Formats: sequence, structure tokens, C-alpha cells
Amino acid sequence: MKIAVMVKVLPDDQDIVATDDGQLDFSRAKNTISTYDLNAIEAAAQLAEAEGAELVAVVAGPKRVDDSKTRKNILSRGVDSLCILADDSLDLADSRQTGRMLAKIVEKVGDVDLVVCGDGSADLYAQQVDVQLAEALGWVNTNAVVSLKADGAAVSVERVLEDEKEVVKMPLPAVVAVSPDIALPRIAGMKDILAAGKKPVVTYSLEDAGGLEDATVETLEIKAPQPTARKKMLFDGSSDEGIDEFVKALKEAM
Amino acid sequence: MDFKLTDEQELMLENLREFCDRWVDEERIQKWYDERRVDPETCKAYLEAGFGYMFIPEEYGGIPSDAQTLALVVEELMRCTGATMPFMSYGLAMYDLATFGTPEQVEKGMKSYQETGQQCFSLALSEPGAGSDNRSMTATIHWDDENGTAVLNGTKTMVSHAETAPYIMFIGKDEDPSHDNKSMSMLLVEKDTPGITMAPLHKIGQTSTNFDEVYFDNVVVPQSTLLGEKGKGFLQLMENFEIERIMLSAHSLGLAQAALEEATRYAAQRETFGKKLYQHQLIAEKLTDMEIKCQNMRNMLYKTAWEFDNGIPVRLDSALCKRYLSTTATEVASEAMQIFGGIGYTTESKIGRIWIDARGDSFAGGTEEIMVHIAGRQIVKKYASDLL
Repeated sequence: MKIAVMVKVLPDDQDIVATDDGQLDFSRAKNTISTYDLNAIEAAAQLAEAEGAELVAVVAGPKRVDDSKTRKNILSRGVDSLCILADDSLDLADSRQTGRMLAKIVEKVGDVDLVVCGDGSADLYAQQVDVQLAEALGWVNTNAVVSLKADGAAVSVERVLEDEKEVVKMPLPAVVAVSPDIALPRIAGMKDILAAGKKPVVTYSLEDAGGLEDATVETLEIKAPQPTARKKMLFDGSSDEGIDEFVKALKEAM
Repeated sequence: MDFKLTDEQELMLENLREFCDRWVDEERIQKWYDERRVDPETCKAYLEAGFGYMFIPEEYGGIPSDAQTLALVVEELMRCTGATMPFMSYGLAMYDLATFGTPEQVEKGMKSYQETGQQCFSLALSEPGAGSDNRSMTATIHWDDENGTAVLNGTKTMVSHAETAPYIMFIGKDEDPSHDNKSMSMLLVEKDTPGITMAPLHKIGQTSTNFDEVYFDNVVVPQSTLLGEKGKGFLQLMENFEIERIMLSAHSLGLAQAALEEATRYAAQRETFGKKLYQHQLIAEKLTDMEIKCQNMRNMLYKTAWEFDNGIPVRLDSALCKRYLSTTATEVASEAMQIFGGIGYTTESKIGRIWIDARGDSFAGGTEEIMVHIAGRQIVKKYASDLL
């Protein structure tokens, strides 16, 4: 069995500075793994360990996503090897472009049975890439997965929906997006960190992956919201009058 | 000169912060301080994350490491928690054992370390009448060759981890307790051996580590418990004092840095006389001098660790480091407490704990005065060896 986990590398939001005119300054932000993808890596690593499967991590993004520390960070988490496509044309790529690009890389990796994605990216959280990726590959797909088990030529997954839990058996190959609850990311051990630099990394160029599809979404501007001062008003929720006042204040504020 | 951390060091520190987030919080710290021990699950988690394997030789399952990385890890552990985490030293204790133990002794120690997560032995060295002046030691080892046993007698004091470590490393004089007898040996004995009893000593700080007086009353152990060479006990132990000083200095620095950060955050929020605290020049000056001290401490520690890693003798520098960092950390913590005002002197803030823990480093692993005793002679050797 071969599992591929999709990993988004992002500027650490703690280091992003919003300037007075609402522009975002990323220049001091170091790379970090998108939060929900840490859960995806852990779920994939646990499944790979249980099944004796091979686990490949796939990263696609602008050039800045490829640095030696990020590589080691990913590879210290139970991942066997890493494939990276880093090209600035992927900066601000839309979900469809990203999904299709990742699909091409998964095809290049070859013999992948299962693709694991995070719940959504920590910056845009569109929750689209897993769907677009599955569509491009023509594989079955589901999301909101809270447990993952290999079951012969299929995987059994549990999904938590609004008021029910669903168990789905999916034939392989398949794409799943896992919920953050599926697995607590490991604290990478020192031995794993030291070994990470020795694991294989394959880099692809945009040409290797057949170029980037046309965008379907055009990003005009990204701006930080203007902070609004807190109103610091308190209402008494135990009386009808208090609630009326609260509603009135809400309406005024909007 | 290169102060840049490697990718691996940065990742280790990130994972260490994650460990602290998950395993250490203020409520647990207070429980550990009250109970005089950290729960074994946390110690084991620290070990399993690999931090507790640093410096232990690879053949015993350890992780090759260097003093610089050890210093970074210990500093960050104290900075993140603002407390003394006793498990910082457990790996180094195994390193000691690996330095002079037989493979069987090391394996036995390693097995117990992995099973319990606790430091595998406590060091019974100081006595009521013999601290740094170890020649005044009166505990004895009688070698009963006929029965293949050794008989231990004496009182040891200020024994850290005595209650939680399964073994005791005992140092005593061979046969004769008199001052002139220089022959000392070292044995690794089980804590539960008949004839060993202990009574707690209550420290004012760093109480997350238990601390005891340990009594040896005709304790009979096999001669195979001997560690290293007979008669060379203390000399062997001294070999690793330098790395221990580096580790303890990192403990001091981490506490000082935690105090500086706490005080700075407080000064940025608290208002008096219509201004934020830090806008008062007296407070800004304190913060400035605390920052200078922390940077100085860090530079001195990292340089000494770098020298150690590069095979440069650190007899002098490790003593200077230990003295400077333990005194300066207490100064920084004391100033931090002053910035907090009265609330800093209550248990509502962690500054009191940091201050009282930092003060303890003036004694641990050799007093500040003993560091002068070591350094003074080394300085004359360095600049005026022709006059000696």
C-alpha cells in the first residue's frame, strides 16, 4: 500500500504583520505546516505504520515553501519521503489549480492507493482541494473523516456529520479529507529529527507536472480587516428588557 | 563565529515547546512542587520525545549530542515553564554511568530509566561534615574479600532524587575514614538494600526534586557493584563536572529569561500614575539591565558549550560560567520581582518561584565560592604560569 499526504506550507500567521493601510507583510514570517495538515500527516503515518505502507508527503506552492527546515519538519513525522513542486506561479493559485497540480504530482509518484488531505488550509480554509484533486484523478472522495482503517482493497472511514456518525467503505484508490480530531500530531522525537535530513526528497518543476491550468478565480486584493474597538457594553441576559437592549445594540452596530 | 541554530536544533526547540504545552501547566507545576516529584508519565514523555536520551552513548540507545544543543534544550525548558524541571539532568546521569560503569551496569541503569522515566540513580556524595571539602568525608567501604562483599557505613546528605531514583551512587573512603586517606571508591547500590534509610530535607526552592539525608548502616552489597576503578571514586566523578556546570548554567539562564519575559509583559500592561510601567524610566532601566544580563549570560554559556564541543579545555570557563550565571540569574529574577511590586512577593505570580529556584543554583553542583577556588588558580595558570 502507498499513501500520499498533501501538505500545505504557509507563512506562520504569528509573524504576519498587518500594516496601517491593511496590507499584509509576510517578510518576517517563517514557514510552517498548515495546522490541519499536521493531523492529516499523523493520521496517514499511523495508518502507514499499522499497514506497513509507504508514506509520501506532497508539497506544492510558491518557491518559498521549499526550505531545508520545512523538509525536515515534514520528514520527522513518520513520513518516508517527500515530493515538492515549488514555483512562484503557484502563489495565490486557486483550489482548482492546486487540486489539479497535486493530482499530477500524485500520478508522477505512481501506485498511490490513498490520498490523505487535511480538513482545510489554515489560511484560506476553502475545503476544496481534496474535492478538486479527487475529481482530477477520477477517484472516490469523502471528507470529515475521524477514523481511517485499511480493509483489503478498500478503506473504512468514519465520518462525523451534524447529528450522526457514518461508516463508509471506499474502494481504493481514494481521496479522504480528515477532520482535526482524527489524530493528535506527534511531538517529533529527536531521533526522527536527526534522521529526517537523510530521507529522500524529489523535486518537480512546473514543466514536469505539465504546467499550471488557467485560474478560475482571480484574486484582486488581500487586505487585513480594520480592527474595530470593542464596545465594552454589558447586558443582563436574565430579563427580556436586557435582551431587547442587546438586539437593539446589535442592530445599531450593524 | 556563528550563532545560527541548525535546522535540527530549531525543530527540537519547537517540539520541546510543544512538549511543554501538552505536559506542563501551572497547576501541574504546583502539584509537583508540593509532592517533591514530577509524575512518571511526564518524565517518560520527555524521555520518549528523545530529550532525555541526549548525551547517552548510541550503543545504549542514546542520541549523540553536543553541549550546545543540551544547553539550548535545558534553557528553553526552564524558559517555557518558569520552573525547575528535574528531568533535565536524567540523561546526563546516564551519561555519567556510561562513562565509568560496566556494560552490564549501564544496561541495568538504562532499563530502569526507560521503565520508570526517573533518573536511574541519586548521588550520595556530600556529608554533614564534607561538602566541597570531600577529603573530610567519613563514610566508609569495607571490602570483605572473603565473602565477595562490600560493607557501607556513613551518613550522606543533600541527596537529590533519593526517593525516586531506584539506585544510589555511593562514594566512600576505602576502609579508613581518616582525613589523610585519599582512596575513595564508588558503588551503584539498590535503594532498597537493607540498612539504607532516608529522611527528607526540605529545600526552600526547586522542590520539584526530592532531597534527602541518607543513612547507611552496615549495608552489605556484592563487590560487583563497584563503579569504575577501586580507589579512584571522586576523580572519576570529576570528569563530568564540566558538562554538569554547563547544564546547570543553562538552568539558571532559562529561569532568568522566564523572569525577564514575565516582567516585561507585566510592564507592558500594568499602568501606574497614568502610564504603562515600562514608560517609567526606572522600570525601563531595570528591563534594559536585565536584557543585557541575559544576553551576556547566553553569550558566555554558548561560548563555553562551543569550546567543550570543540575539545577546548573548559576548566576555567565552565567555572566562570557557573558562577556568573547563577549569581546573575538571581539578580535578574530579583529585579523582575521588583517590577511586579508587592504582587511579585506572593504566590499569585510565578516570579517568586523563579527567584527562589534561581537562588538555589548558587549551591547546586558546587557553590559560587568553590567556582572562585577553581577559577582563581586557573587564571594564574593562564596569565602567569611562569611564576607558579
